[in-house]
Amino acid sequence: MFGFFKNKYDNPALLEEIRQTEEKWFVFMDKLETRLDELCAAAIPELIAVFNQDTDPYKRAHSRMLTGLIGQISQMQQKGMEAKETHIIPFMQASGSLLPDLMSSAGRKYHDRLYRFQMACFDRHHQFEDKVNEGIAALRSAKGNTDLEAVYQRQLREFERIKDSFNCKQCGGKMSIPKMFFIATYIQCPFCQSQNTYTPSTEIQMLFHQARSLAEQRTAHLLQDYENSRPKNPALYQQYLRAMFDEWNKITPDMVAENERFYQRLLKDHSINHY
Amino acid sequence: MSQNPLLEPIHGITLEDYSAACAKMGSGLSEDQVATALGVEMPVWQEANLLWQERMKEDATYQIVTLFGQHFGTADQHPKFSNLQAVVSPEATGYIEKIKTDKDFYQELEVARQVAYDYGLDGASWIADQYGISLGDFQIAASLWNEQIHRDIAADSQKYMRTQDAYKEKYRQQFANTQGGNVADDITF
Amino acid sequence: MSNAEKKNTQSYLERLKQQALSQENYGGAVKYDQANMQVYDCPECAAARAPADGLTVCAYCGFKFMTVELSDGIHIKKEN
Repeated sequence: MFGFFKNKYDNPALLEEIRQTEEKWFVFMDKLETRLDELCAAAIPELIAVFNQDTDPYKRAHSRMLTGLIGQISQMQQKGMEAKETHIIPFMQASGSLLPDLMSSAGRKYHDRLYRFQMACFDRHHQFEDKVNEGIAALRSAKGNTDLEAVYQRQLREFERIKDSFNCKQCGGKMSIPKMFFIATYIQCPFCQSQNTYTPSTEIQMLFHQARSLAEQRTAHLLQDYENSRPKNPALYQQYLRAMFDEWNKITPDMVAENERFYQRLLKDHSINHY
Repeated sequence: MSQNPLLEPIHGITLEDYSAACAKMGSGLSEDQVATALGVEMPVWQEANLLWQERMKEDATYQIVTLFGQHFGTADQHPKFSNLQAVVSPEATGYIEKIKTDKDFYQELEVARQVAYDYGLDGASWIADQYGISLGDFQIAASLWNEQIHRDIAADSQKYMRTQDAYKEKYRQQFANTQGGNVADDITF
Repeated sequence: MSNAEKKNTQSYLERLKQQALSQENYGGAVKYDQANMQVYDCPECAAARAPADGLTVCAYCGFKFMTVELSDGIHIKKEN
């Protein structure tokens, strides 16, 4: 077996095919990547514009546009993947099987060339995949900032304005809402003792569901401290979580007991995952 | 056998009641109708609604959310809601019935719903526009088919993947045609 | 990058944007209601309801406002 191909293995046609395939692959990757860059660059200002134009409190038009764009990028990613699986890998495997033994001097040059081809193509593909992930991340950040604090403060002021303006529907007596309720609540008329049902405004009901996000915004710097620690310091996470929940409880004080149970659960989950 | 305290009713509203109520609201009933059907007033319903969600957040075993999903699927049979149906067209009624009884139809629509998002549409709205099927009905069907689909995957995952891929390809083409093709259609190896 | 290709991307983006903005949100636009106060008197005997008498039953005629057993919630308690 050894020495069977001692005479020089000569296959210039294969070398040329490798060269051409590699070039074609790079051209293809370049085109895809350029299209990706172009799409993202053009899309980002449009996404921001749509976010600002979107009157929906949940910004659903913006979400739809974002998922559509990511869908197109996924298409490009899939194209790259399929081309690699159809044109590069089979070619590599077929060519490799034609070559003489790697350990023979005749074979080494060709195996080297094929190996360099493989590395070049795969590296180029990884580079493209990295660009895909960067593009998607950039698109996800292309949105305005909802200033939750401003929204909250505005609602607090609005509540102060209206809280003493209610009348008992039974006797007409003046009624005050004792605190910011977020759901329909029974309130007793101080005059005729009748049970009234108070329903807060839609905006205040929505505030309830934004309370955690606001608390997270207020304590984001503490989370950052934890994220920046090397190695990750669980004490810092607990400090963040406690502070976040304290803020949450300031916004929705009626939920303190419930939030405490949730806090304990999250802490436990985190310590399980951390270790 | 002692019951998990987290499964105790809240203001007399059991987890089955709550799950069915959520399914029915997703299918078009209003909060008022649901509260009335459960025999409570709005403040009581809203407290129970809030507190059942807190139970799910507290439960690290996922038992409650799993049971919620199961009961969600049987909402149509819940006695308190048997007389209440959302107003739908006869055609929609047919499709709603079909996703709950025809597994292939459900699976195909589930893929279509997902692909719609990839083309910038709201999937739930698309399903509602095309077939008159509400999000709640869709979720009920998802719950009903959940176990069977898991069994199918365990039995023959290749076949499952092939079927899913075929549906994906069909709807990608359909939505792409509507939007004038994909952005990178002209780029080939 | 040819101009024709740039134009295609641009027209796709424009189309996507218009579609996103014009598609109605599921369930329609969010409706904003003001805060309000209501009473729900007994439909049988028209009596008003006092918390002291309990939330679930009319103190005068026994009509059941609610058929459930209350538990300890946030503001509503078992004894209501």
